[in-house]
Amino acid sequence: MKAVILAAGKASKLTPFSTTRPIPTLRVAGRTLFDNTVDLLQKSGVSDIFVVVEHQKEVLIEQIGEHLNNGVNLHYIEQGKGTGIGDAVLKVKSKISPGEYFLLIYGDTVTSTNIFSKIQQSFHSFKCPVASICLPPSNEMFGNVFLNAHMKITEIIEKPKGDDLGNYVLSGAYILPETFFKTLESCQGSMEKALKKIVDGEGLMASMWEDEWLDIVYPWEILTANKILMDSWQTSSIARTAVLESNVTIQGTVVIEDDVVVKAGAVLEGPCSIGKGSYIGNNSLIRSYTSLGQNCSVGYGVELKNCVVLDNTHIGRLSFIGDSVLGENVDVGAGSMTVNRGIDWKPIAVKNGKKSINTGQSKLGAFIGDNAVIGAGNTIAPGTVVSPGEILPACYSVKNS
Amino acid sequence: MCGISGVVGLNNISEALYQGIRNLEYRGYDSCGVALMNEKSLIVKKNVGGVEDVFRKENVLSVSSKIGIAHTRWATHGKVTRNNTHPFTSCDGQFAVVHNGIISNFRQLKEKLIQEGHSFHSETDTEVIPHLLEKFYKQTGSIEKALVQVINLLEGTFALAFISTEAPDQIYCAKRESPLMLGIGDETKFVGSDFNAFIDQTKNAIIIDDGEYAIVSRDAYVVKNFVTMSEIPKKITKIDWDSETSKKGGYPHYMLKEIYEQPQVVTNALEQDPASLDEVADMILNSDKTILVGVGTTYYVACYGNYIFSSQAEVFCPPISSDEFISLANVDSKSLVLALSQSGETYDTLSALKHARAKGARTAAIVNVMGSSISRFVDKAILQGSGPEICVISTKAAMSQMMLLTLIALRVGFKKKVLTKKAYEKSLAALDELPGIIQSILNERSGFIHRIAHRYSKTKHWLYLGRGIYYPIALESALKMKEVAYIHAEGMPGGFLKHGTLAMIDQDIFSIVFIPPREDKALYDSTIHSVDEIRARSGFVLGIHFDERGKNKDLFSEELILPSVPPIIAPLIQMVIGQLFSYFTATSLKRNVDKPRSLAKSVTVG
Repeated sequence: MKAVILAAGKASKLTPFSTTRPIPTLRVAGRTLFDNTVDLLQKSGVSDIFVVVEHQKEVLIEQIGEHLNNGVNLHYIEQGKGTGIGDAVLKVKSKISPGEYFLLIYGDTVTSTNIFSKIQQSFHSFKCPVASICLPPSNEMFGNVFLNAHMKITEIIEKPKGDDLGNYVLSGAYILPETFFKTLESCQGSMEKALKKIVDGEGLMASMWEDEWLDIVYPWEILTANKILMDSWQTSSIARTAVLESNVTIQGTVVIEDDVVVKAGAVLEGPCSIGKGSYIGNNSLIRSYTSLGQNCSVGYGVELKNCVVLDNTHIGRLSFIGDSVLGENVDVGAGSMTVNRGIDWKPIAVKNGKKSINTGQSKLGAFIGDNAVIGAGNTIAPGTVVSPGEILPACYSVKNS
Repeated sequence: MCGISGVVGLNNISEALYQGIRNLEYRGYDSCGVALMNEKSLIVKKNVGGVEDVFRKENVLSVSSKIGIAHTRWATHGKVTRNNTHPFTSCDGQFAVVHNGIISNFRQLKEKLIQEGHSFHSETDTEVIPHLLEKFYKQTGSIEKALVQVINLLEGTFALAFISTEAPDQIYCAKRESPLMLGIGDETKFVGSDFNAFIDQTKNAIIIDDGEYAIVSRDAYVVKNFVTMSEIPKKITKIDWDSETSKKGGYPHYMLKEIYEQPQVVTNALEQDPASLDEVADMILNSDKTILVGVGTTYYVACYGNYIFSSQAEVFCPPISSDEFISLANVDSKSLVLALSQSGETYDTLSALKHARAKGARTAAIVNVMGSSISRFVDKAILQGSGPEICVISTKAAMSQMMLLTLIALRVGFKKKVLTKKAYEKSLAALDELPGIIQSILNERSGFIHRIAHRYSKTKHWLYLGRGIYYPIALESALKMKEVAYIHAEGMPGGFLKHGTLAMIDQDIFSIVFIPPREDKALYDSTIHSVDEIRARSGFVLGIHFDERGKNKDLFSEELILPSVPPIIAPLIQMVIGQLFSYFTATSLKRNVDKPRSLAKSVTVG
């Protein structure tokens, strides 16, 4: 079966990480979301994958290149004009033959096990259009899907009224017939309306997904995605070329990639992953759910905890980074600290565009965009967002006058 | 689009080919055909229609062959006719080809071939391929070389497969942009548009990339590049596939599937033959005493029956757990023993019935499995018609038994004139609403139940409380929690609290309270009183109630609000909540839901 991955979106709510990259290229739990998705697709028996790209497409196209001749046919299509999901879907119209069914997936969702196998198995038994559905951790921003006893979707309510509804929602994976393009065109490219039309017409069956599932919308959800993926790890792996000096302690599941150097006295508590070519200084403490990107350097005595650090980032000595996400090429000066809770333990709010959003989490650090520079000695308040390229001057208590 | 499939094996493969192409029928179904090989001659059978239809019409399965290819078509070039159906053969009948895709330069190729003397019988683009193969095979004397020359001539997209009398144990296939895979079995190899073609036979797949062709025989395969003709090492992809899943439809587990079947099961119970219900009702009316027996879930169903007979018919029908029956029951020829069993094979229940009959008592049973020992043993059996219950944990079967007991109780009550005609009809009308209400509960509350179950899945001890008829619901719901989630759960009447259990209430014991609708004032008030008792000791209470939101402010630690329903169906609705709550707790804890430990579907040992 052919699969279509929608990866053209800007995901503006994921600021400060979305302006500089398409979401699927985020490296979470040691791998990019895209690689993860392609892996699952391949294991589910998909042979041809079309990726619709637009926002920061070069980054993704380069990554698609890395998958060449790896047992799966990957192609990309540029979305060009139009911003909606429907517009993106219509771009693959010519790639799907009349009568053919295809797997349509959103590129910014994360699951712990293979949702694509599940939906194809449902399709195998129903032999008609299928939508994957799941119960999300909250139903605030999702529509409700109504079912009958035979798993046929009877209704999709986009914006449920009242707070008494709580049910299955669409989880961003569908198996649709080629005729869907026509339906989509007749609905002016509105995915919502086109799906409703199928529900009322030929019928849309549901495939229930019960394992972990996440649609990454806000930056703090990168940490949730990281946790979901790391929790699914079964084994540790340490590359042959990695160097672990004396008195390095390793606990739990860890992934240590090629050419990593871990200096003496460091403690690594799994699950955590250290990307290719990274350096961990003496006596550092890498606690669980840390995903360190490639070619990062972590100085002496640094503590990392539940954080996602993207490639080429430098964290100076005696710093603490916890419950935070750091972009690529960030320079954190020595002795910096991301404070990760308020004194009152109240849920932390994060500024998102013009709004401030309550994350509901009482422990949350900072979100630092690509190429930002954090001067030495900064103490960053919980929930702070640092824009890409922003420079925070160092904080000195004594200055040379 | 079309689907192609091919099989080569040690023995007759026509059945495997049939299954394979039938599983690809979703890719197109206006016509279908196969090419098989018998004693070095090609047999082509094709026609217009669906796969099953064509195989029957053309009597395909009667042909025995160790190699074959098949095609299911969705017309793109040419009308839907027999002549336009794949496979296509060459003039000399040595090549049979199936193809998916579009050959864009077929007109030029076809003209040239006609000039060279080839004759065509269809309007399709595909037909050029067998003729080209024939032509180049004559020139080169090698099928492989012929294939490479042909595919380098073709413009457009293709996934094609062919067999030839010149190589009677090999399938050749090639791909450009249309999907193609190999399935690698031990003694059999498969070719398919996708893995649906062979997933029932093998999970080992090799994905053919664009620009590659493969030669497949029963014990070997080779994949090559069609420009360089050099071999390409391929990785076997193990398809992540659980063969049970397909049988569950889109559901993750049978337990959830069966919970979702309850609206239908209730409808079936409502349509139960009235004569049959009347017969049991009369047996109850003509007996001095009626004892309900069951064990495990069915014992709790019997407890429910005791309350419903008492409230609707003013008949006292004590429930006895089947395994205790012999020690407890005094029965004689004036007694009726009404047994409940899903499987109809439960050892303890059958023993109880045998004991009762030996004492001269009459026997009746509500069972799900027709022809089972209990259904054959008793004087009167009602078959509940809930359909097979595959999950070891009983959900829909218990629901159906409760419905049937309710219907019988109403009949007894009406016949005894305990219920007026009006009251009787009102209750029946309320029961008619039940399927729709369960359906809406499933559709509108699952998310809440899931969230709460997930949030409290680490709880070690649950206390399930209910009063009156909600007490058996509490018992049954607690049993579900134990069976499927392996969490300590204890069902108890609310009144028990102050007789000792309150001493246990602390931050580690969580309570679930089944609260009746407000119309049932006395029961409602006393149940709320139990909630107050727990809350006064800072215990956690999850209240499952029918009140409006905000009416019970601060009364509960968590609440699950149900739509207002007639009191007679309220306990059954709450049982659905109990089922879902256990189910989601179990899935949160990653339990083996359909086959929980230490439990068998029908306990046939004593």
